[in-house]
Amino acid sequence: MKILLVMPTPFETGRLGLENVIWLAEPVALTSIAATVSDRHEVRLLDMRLEREETLPETLADWKPDLVGTTSMTTDVYQAKAVLRMTRQIVPNALTVVGGHAPTLQPKEFAEPYIDVVVQGEGEDTFQQLCQRWDVQRAHGDRTFAGVAGTRYHDHDTIRVEAKRSQVRSLDDLPAPDRSLVAKYHGRYFFTSARPMASIFTSRGCSFDCNFCAIWEFYERRTRYLSAAKIVDQMQACEERFIFLLDDNFLTNKKRILALCEELERRKVKKLWMTQGRTDFVADNPDIMARLAKNGLVGLLSGFESNDDDNLAALRKKNTFDKNKRANDILRDNGIFSTGIFMVRADWSKEQFDALYDYINTLEIGIPLVTILTPLPGTQLYRLYRDKLMTDDYRLFDLLHCVLPTRLPRAEFYKHFARAIDATEVSCYRAMRSLLFKRPSVWWAMGRNLLWFYARTWRYQRVHRDYTSFLRDEEGLLNGPGARGHLTWRDVQYPTGSEPRTDREGQSLIPLRIPKRTWADDVADASQNPHNHDLPALAAGE
Amino acid sequence: MKTPREFLSDLRDEIEAHPAVNHLFLNRLATSPMSRQDYRVFAENHYPLVCAFTTYMELLLLRAPDSEARLWLSRVLVDEYGEGSEGKDHPTLYASFVDACGGDSGRLGPERLPSPAHAFIQAHQRLVRRGTFLEGLGAVGPGHEWAIPKMFDAIVPGLRRAGLSDDQIGYFTLHLEQDEDHGAWLEEALVRTAGTPEAQAQVRRGALTSLEARMRFWDGVQAAVIRYRQPRATRADGPSPRTLLHEVALTSWDGMTMGRALETWRARRATDARPTLDGMLLACRSLT
Repeated sequence: MKILLVMPTPFETGRLGLENVIWLAEPVALTSIAATVSDRHEVRLLDMRLEREETLPETLADWKPDLVGTTSMTTDVYQAKAVLRMTRQIVPNALTVVGGHAPTLQPKEFAEPYIDVVVQGEGEDTFQQLCQRWDVQRAHGDRTFAGVAGTRYHDHDTIRVEAKRSQVRSLDDLPAPDRSLVAKYHGRYFFTSARPMASIFTSRGCSFDCNFCAIWEFYERRTRYLSAAKIVDQMQACEERFIFLLDDNFLTNKKRILALCEELERRKVKKLWMTQGRTDFVADNPDIMARLAKNGLVGLLSGFESNDDDNLAALRKKNTFDKNKRANDILRDNGIFSTGIFMVRADWSKEQFDALYDYINTLEIGIPLVTILTPLPGTQLYRLYRDKLMTDDYRLFDLLHCVLPTRLPRAEFYKHFARAIDATEVSCYRAMRSLLFKRPSVWWAMGRNLLWFYARTWRYQRVHRDYTSFLRDEEGLLNGPGARGHLTWRDVQYPTGSEPRTDREGQSLIPLRIPKRTWADDVADASQNPHNHDLPALAAGE
Repeated sequence: MKTPREFLSDLRDEIEAHPAVNHLFLNRLATSPMSRQDYRVFAENHYPLVCAFTTYMELLLLRAPDSEARLWLSRVLVDEYGEGSEGKDHPTLYASFVDACGGDSGRLGPERLPSPAHAFIQAHQRLVRRGTFLEGLGAVGPGHEWAIPKMFDAIVPGLRRAGLSDDQIGYFTLHLEQDEDHGAWLEEALVRTAGTPEAQAQVRRGALTSLEARMRFWDGVQAAVIRYRQPRATRADGPSPRTLLHEVALTSWDGMTMGRALETWRARRATDARPTLDGMLLACRSLT
């Protein structure tokens, strides 16, 4: 059987997003599921972020795959759907499958006649079973998959939802991602000036429950780890000197991190790697951070989020301003290049923007990424604000557009947001200088591509500095419930962090414990729509 | 050798799977919530094609080899002039769509043609004037009438989502039905004329040349929509990686005031070199 996996573009080609300039990672979600079937089936992968647009229709028409699969985050929803719609037009016999975060957490968005199967949750086992079944069923065109846990599919006029697939399988048992499928794009993936860059994951999930993040809901507030030996096997298999560990939160389990350090030291691995992790771990474990730096950790992407303890509490971040400061010092002292994410809120005044930018400049963050707090589908914030959103267009849920009513006039809000680059450049220069003195060899390894990176970001900054870009992006698209109801920022009550945990019958947040048999959003939908026959049946099982 | 019916059936399959007919832009229109502003840019680029279509048919009619072919072509033309749409010809129908999207259809006639539309119309004029009759027939028949229902099928749901009424999008919904008929009529003309391998090759060449032009047209319209949203958008990555020198040179060029001024000057020169929509239509009519 011929399987085509397609990584969609995040936006229409030519639009600019962070993927164009800051971070373009390998499509590990697709190479991971490909690895489970590539021994029995012929698999090809197209990364549309790096291909000509015509490549997709040409491949579909010439190669005629039997199954086409794609993946989607919130902002790529329409692009993923466009891929599968095109598939249905060109190869109507092929099975169309979509998986990933958006289909898992907002499956109704994918209830389209041209999408045969929505895979919810972790995809490896589901996809493998799906391929086995389709290989047999395609001869008679049966597109139903009764018994394949983790799938939703059309069955006559209804959507059949199979049981939720439990995510208990040890990561060590899963095959390593099939990176041969992206070999043709070698050298194209990067994180800032680190390139060529490989991407692997060493854990899945996060044990925290921040209300702006859906990772913990996707992985049911559990974290599973790849063993140190397997991580180092994968690192050694990468040709690239730079590796990005795509873990949602790498810095959680001290024992595992120390085991990884030991393994790296034992095998004398000299890779330079980056990852994502929380600042409180950094602040509380300076020795571990020093050891990680010695073993090749050169960059850390972390959510500083705010300059204000109350705001951090409101986000259920369970972190403090002081820990952020301390983490910054530890990263600087160990020569670890820091990329910090900050979030501004729709209800901010000019003074609050100023205070954030001043705070960033007291730190030494190489790349301060100032974003807008966005209630992404699947998060608690989304459930709280879904009736107040200014837009329903998921392309604007890219953390660079404000989807809630703003306190300042929108133009002024974006004017203050757009000056983030200029207002925080002191922090970048100090971080670069610090890295140069602390770890000159790392500086040189990354600095070789600095001019390349600077050239790309400079072109991006032309757009970002122009606040009217944001206004033009949303022109004609502010037609969500908040806009229709003429809501103002006063109608949007931000959480304070001290709210009681309301139950399912409560008004706002759903319980933190996620039902075992169904997804959190399904429960919310079911409670709102008692006439939906599929969802209450599942929810009732809890 | 294939019989004409077999040949046409294969050609229909080829056209339905063609990248131009299934362009990602069309699928994006079908799946993304585009606004009226996006559709205004779309309409301003597409309107000239609608106005020019009958000129291809008129030119072709003059070159039709026999009265039977002339008859089938005339039937399509009569519809295009407004027979099946309460006397409103297709440009008039489309003009109401332009206006509904916030554009000004009256302003488009004296304006220079947008580059994607100009390239498309030029390619088709070349086909119907300088190509063989069968190449021209391949372009306006299978290349247009077979392709349009499938392309518009992708466009119509997005228009409805943008809040446009059935009256305002009448041009598109009409074509979903009418072009099925037109396609069938032109197929009859083709069955009678595409009996030899040479004739079949000419029809196919015409259809595919038309679709190649269509693909470049959709590329151009998509770029225009994106440019409208982000006029300062940078240059998207291509299929092959840029070298450091290339990246730096591009950035330096973009950063220079003179570089930007030169690009603006060049774009203005290119625009001035293109005819206006009215001028182009007048020139075509003078040929017939």
